[in-house]
Amino acid sequence: MEKRDFEIKQGIKAHFIKTDLFKTNMISCIITVPLTRENVTKNALIVSMLRRGTANFKTQLDLSKELENLYGAAFECGIDKYGDNQILRFYMDSIHDKFALNNEEILKSTMNILLDIVCNPLLENGTFKEEYLKLEKENLAKIIKSKIDDKDLYAYETCISKMYGDTGFGLYKYGYLEDLDNITVANLTEYYNNLIQNSKIDLFISGDFEEENLKNSILNNENIQKLRPRIENYILNNEFTESKDIPENQNEVIEQMDVTQGKLVIGMDVGAKCDKLQFKTLLYNIILGSGANSLLFQNVREKESLAYSIKSVYVKQKGNIFIRAGIEIPNFEKAVELIKAQLEIMKKGEFSDEDFAAAKEYVKSGIVAIETEQDTGIVYYIGQEISKTNTSIEEYLTNIEEITREDIIEIANSVKINTIYFLKN
Amino acid sequence: MQTIENSQIQEKIYTQKLSNGIKLIIIPKKTQKKYIIWGIKYGSIDHRFKVNEKEIQVPDGIAHYMEHKLFEQENGTNSLDVLSSLGVNANAYTTNNHTAYLFEDNNNKFFEALDEFMNYVQNPYFTVENVEKERGIIEQEIMMYDDYPDWKVYMNAIKAMYHNNPINIDVAGTKETIAEITKDKLYETYHAFYTPDNMAIVVCGDFEPEQVIQEIEKRMTLKNTNQTVKRLYEEEPEQIVKKREEAKMNISMPLFMIGYKDEITCENQIKKDLALDILFNILIGDSSELYQSLYEEGLLQSEPTFIYENSKTYSHILIQGQSEKYDQVIQKIETGIETLKKNGIQDDVFDRIKKKLYGEYVKSYNDVGAVATSFIQNYFREINPLDYFEEFKNLDKSYTMQILNDVFKPEKQVVSIVKSK
Repeated sequence: MEKRDFEIKQGIKAHFIKTDLFKTNMISCIITVPLTRENVTKNALIVSMLRRGTANFKTQLDLSKELENLYGAAFECGIDKYGDNQILRFYMDSIHDKFALNNEEILKSTMNILLDIVCNPLLENGTFKEEYLKLEKENLAKIIKSKIDDKDLYAYETCISKMYGDTGFGLYKYGYLEDLDNITVANLTEYYNNLIQNSKIDLFISGDFEEENLKNSILNNENIQKLRPRIENYILNNEFTESKDIPENQNEVIEQMDVTQGKLVIGMDVGAKCDKLQFKTLLYNIILGSGANSLLFQNVREKESLAYSIKSVYVKQKGNIFIRAGIEIPNFEKAVELIKAQLEIMKKGEFSDEDFAAAKEYVKSGIVAIETEQDTGIVYYIGQEISKTNTSIEEYLTNIEEITREDIIEIANSVKINTIYFLKN
Repeated sequence: MQTIENSQIQEKIYTQKLSNGIKLIIIPKKTQKKYIIWGIKYGSIDHRFKVNEKEIQVPDGIAHYMEHKLFEQENGTNSLDVLSSLGVNANAYTTNNHTAYLFEDNNNKFFEALDEFMNYVQNPYFTVENVEKERGIIEQEIMMYDDYPDWKVYMNAIKAMYHNNPINIDVAGTKETIAEITKDKLYETYHAFYTPDNMAIVVCGDFEPEQVIQEIEKRMTLKNTNQTVKRLYEEEPEQIVKKREEAKMNISMPLFMIGYKDEITCENQIKKDLALDILFNILIGDSSELYQSLYEEGLLQSEPTFIYENSKTYSHILIQGQSEKYDQVIQKIETGIETLKKNGIQDDVFDRIKKKLYGEYVKSYNDVGAVATSFIQNYFREINPLDYFEEFKNLDKSYTMQILNDVFKPEKQVVSIVKSK
């Protein structure tokens, strides 16, 4: 795998990830903006509006038919939260040209369609269509309300919002119901025009293609030519929101809903936040709660049979670790106690050498996946781009290799519980 | 060793019958990821059987319980931990018709991991204590599923279709049935079904076929027994149980599922898979007028999903979606089906959807894990995925229309709804 970047214009980059491991080419076009209470709902709505049609493919039906003719090229779009930034993501996945039955240029066509969706929306008298906006507002409202459907996810999101409140990372990526009323075709179109001309835009293309050809076809694309250069720093969120300082005796939040199984989330702050420490925290998190060898899995699930699912997740952009478990409701206190005991084991360095070695192997295995899974590769490089780091896979491996037991103990002692959230019936 | 080459998608597949009779399928791929899956034709529906004339009924959920317990080793270790400490991702799953054990290696530890892997699948170690310990974990797993509306809507559709076929029981069983599982019952079931003639192994990754065969043979100890095992299935009437089943859960938008109970036939499954896939796309897929109009009216926010499940004892299709006005959507889908029966399929639509399916077929060879899993699943459905392209080329409109008329019969239709509380 080789990766090369080129600047299409200031603030707009293409990232070529060349690999011959797949039968597909994958394109991801992302727009990155700061996550703010003011714009979060609008951004989510923009994604829904753009997929409704372009100046060239006026309806979703036209788009779907065109993609089916390109051997079922799959188009998807969505909204992601990445630390204090929000990502508008547009994505296309199609089979390699060599598998075409009639020599079609599939990659070139899907690239053009994707750019048309992002940059050339269907407008009527200069604005988005009234009728589309009405429906997409209703649809977004349904998505926002559906937050409660997946109880695990609901518990996780709620814990985050308890920790961060209504700013940056604490916001819900799909936005808020009360914001929808004030959005009109006029102000949303204005917002979009501003967004498309001023935001950081990145194109990631993974697959087996001729670089110069693709570069030329991007540079010659009409939609790309219409875009102005922009100052990249303007758009990324340089503000780093901090989690709330919550006193230890007030950090428990219990909510009731109709659930069979209780959902427990423990949000924790990791004291250290610089680059080198992220690798260490990553490894700390594996030993604590990722995979079958982790302390949480072994002691909470295997030894005490308290949970079927238990894991910890590291959000490196924010320096948080979240422990997530599905437990029987009366076992709440017992489970929290047992989890706290695992944190103590980490602090005292009482994890075994085998656990330490196994965690390194686990991370290494994940690093290999960056090259062997096409979407994992793109997601990795998106992360690198947004966090303005440029860690190659080799460097990543070396950084992990160099970590010592003492490093992990140091991290363990900087970890502090911020919020304990429990959803029960 | 048999070799089959598909030049269209540029893949070569090797198959070999091992000395004890297990079927081994090798799909070489140049990538650092290596994958192995060992499938056993034993699932939740096999809960009644005869071993040499002795009839045995096992508690519901035993296949799944076995899957959990097989990792336990006599020396006190758990194979899942041993494999994880090598950095390989090991896992297992149980369905209604098979159980599978698998691992994925990214660290060049494949053959090291293979030692542990083949050892634990072939050497069960069940004790009163280790069987007891698992009960709490599985109870939690069952409860987790109880909170999934998707699972509820599916099980209710199945229960509305089947009177007696054990597909109508939960794969994991219930808190009550798993209470009856003992170490002796686990051993009895293991010895009845974990035999070479019930098994297949698929490997996918950067392998020399000859070498893999040797390495697997070397570690193989399992032999066929001389006991005869016969699976017993209750007679299943052709009719459905009930037309409609409703449940309530704490969700923001109701879920609906339409099921059609199908006749069990011995016809070409690949051809039928393809025809059903085409029909579903034409009826309510992304590019259908029906889906687009339901979307515009705000009745659907995303396209329904489609499932075709079949074996020698059951066969049905399911369409699942989410809508506040589910009855309106169901009614429009029914009308769509009848209109399609009457008007037939347009040529351009048929060809376009075929192009889409071809693309999806090529894509399905992208990931070693997905390739291996689909080969094992198809093996137990007695399908050879390599026949796919040939069948694809020959698939025509008249056969597709015949399937439409055979499968989508109003009297065989059930509806399952999970409403919001």
